[in-house]
Amino acid sequence: MRKKSRLTGMSVVRGAIIALALLFAIAPIYWTINTSLKGATEVISYPPTWFPTQPTIENWLGVLFGSTFPREVLNSVLLGLGTIVIVLALGVHAGYAAARHEFRGKQSVLLILLMSTMIPGVVTIIPQYFLAVQLGLFDTYTVLLLVFSAWQLPMVVWIMKGFFEGLPRELEEAARVDGCSRLRAFYTVILPLSWPGLAASAIIVFVWVWNEFIIGLTLTQSPYVKPLTVGIYGFVGETGIDWGRITAGTAIALIPVAIFFMIFQRKFVEGLTSGSTKG
Amino acid sequence: MSTMTPTTPAALDSSPARKRARRSAKGATTFAWGLILPAFALVLAVTVLPVARAFELSLHATEFLNAGEFVGLDNYISFFSDPSGLAGIGRTIAFTVGSLALTMPIGVGLALLLNRRFRGRTLVRTLLILPWVVSQLLAGLMWRWSVSPDIGPFGFILSAINGERTDVLANPTTAMLTLIVVNVWRTYPYAMVLALAALQSIPEEIRESARVEGASAFQELRLITLPLIRSTLLIATIVLTINAVNMVDLPLVMTGGGPVNGTDLLGLRVYREAFTLDRIGFASAIAVVMFIINVLISIVYVRVLRGDREPKRS
Repeated sequence: MRKKSRLTGMSVVRGAIIALALLFAIAPIYWTINTSLKGATEVISYPPTWFPTQPTIENWLGVLFGSTFPREVLNSVLLGLGTIVIVLALGVHAGYAAARHEFRGKQSVLLILLMSTMIPGVVTIIPQYFLAVQLGLFDTYTVLLLVFSAWQLPMVVWIMKGFFEGLPRELEEAARVDGCSRLRAFYTVILPLSWPGLAASAIIVFVWVWNEFIIGLTLTQSPYVKPLTVGIYGFVGETGIDWGRITAGTAIALIPVAIFFMIFQRKFVEGLTSGSTKG
Repeated sequence: MSTMTPTTPAALDSSPARKRARRSAKGATTFAWGLILPAFALVLAVTVLPVARAFELSLHATEFLNAGEFVGLDNYISFFSDPSGLAGIGRTIAFTVGSLALTMPIGVGLALLLNRRFRGRTLVRTLLILPWVVSQLLAGLMWRWSVSPDIGPFGFILSAINGERTDVLANPTTAMLTLIVVNVWRTYPYAMVLALAALQSIPEEIRESARVEGASAFQELRLITLPLIRSTLLIATIVLTINAVNMVDLPLVMTGGGPVNGTDLLGLRVYREAFTLDRIGFASAIAVVMFIINVLISIVYVRVLRGDREPKRS
């Protein structure tokens, strides 16, 4: 009996800690959505209201129809998809070579790819900016696609390498005996089996591009190129912060990633922990 | 006629087969290089070579886009001889240490709580991981209005407690603390997820036997659980250290480095010197300093991973 009551005492403490953690995790997100649904006067009323007393979607409509924001969302979607295409096209082949072939210089290539992920973006952004201006690529999709792809490639090569290593070699060998060329054996036998790896890579790459900010801020200018993060940041400044609009823009940027995450949670967690437990 | 068609079954095992193997090995090397080269070239050109370019820029008095004259180490000397240079390093260390000191215990603590079954655990876990998928930009913005004394709940509560309008971002010390809290908010899920994965890989029998031996919950944690997830925790620590050392977005969005440079971290300084003040050469010098710091952390990383793996094998 005593033991039982002690247990419930402990579980109350546990419950309280978890509730507190949930509050901490959710509060800023809740407040963003809360503020975005308030009218112009309620936003600045004091004390702040804990939920919108007269909910309105005017901020959302203003952002979606009265600004360049939709175009910037489109830019981010296109940049995300474009980066996925480039990164998968290059990464799949490189990962396959790394998984299935021994060749001179392989270890150096893999080491350089791995080490490149340790280069901080803030170190390379200045030369990248220089290069973009000199090549006339400043403020173009091209330069963003190149830089985004270069940052994401090593990770995708690693994911695909690990994936291919998990497939039995007999698969290609059988195809080769049947007279397939190496490339054909890869395309017709291995690649169709690789969609889980491809999907995981694509999800991670898309979320990364969707969230990226500093590279976009540095290398783009016009609403026809800049990603939505840069667009949202544009709501800051000018004439102070338009709280209603910027919270609506933030909520719009947040929702797809949050939904994505809820659906593909396992892939996210796998992506996070891969390497850490194998280490 | 090629060696591809052996005339007798026996020939499969003899010299034509070996010749074929050799030829195919050579072809395989070319083939493999052909596969890996495009990816390698792109990474080399866009992220590796720019490091060398940054070093080159740092040795020149470059302002705006005009390559300036060679000035040797002048940019470095002016960075290290100016008090603001060392202060920036100090602030970056404070931010990093503060973030890690909070993130790791919170992450591990929550992982321990989530490692036991309870109703709604999946939902709780999902909600607790959510901040990790929020970008640094959005995290900074969301917290900016959450702590605002005019429109935010935390700002309102703090002001009520203090008895006067309290803007945590208007004071250098509290602004830094706020940045740390926001960084913790965004990174504790990473520590939590990694710790949870490691915890779940501990066989139940080990904990069971510890309990049978009469170990208290605290002893079990200290003597059994933590040592077993140590290497995972080290990895999380190092990844998050690198993340904090190179931080740009949070101070840029929340404080712009202010007030009175109280949150001017090294990464933000690079960004501001280069793109606000157009002092490209000077900014590159700081960037190179940051790169060296990162290399040192990476070396520690590799050492730790090796040292941690070897005892396990023996």
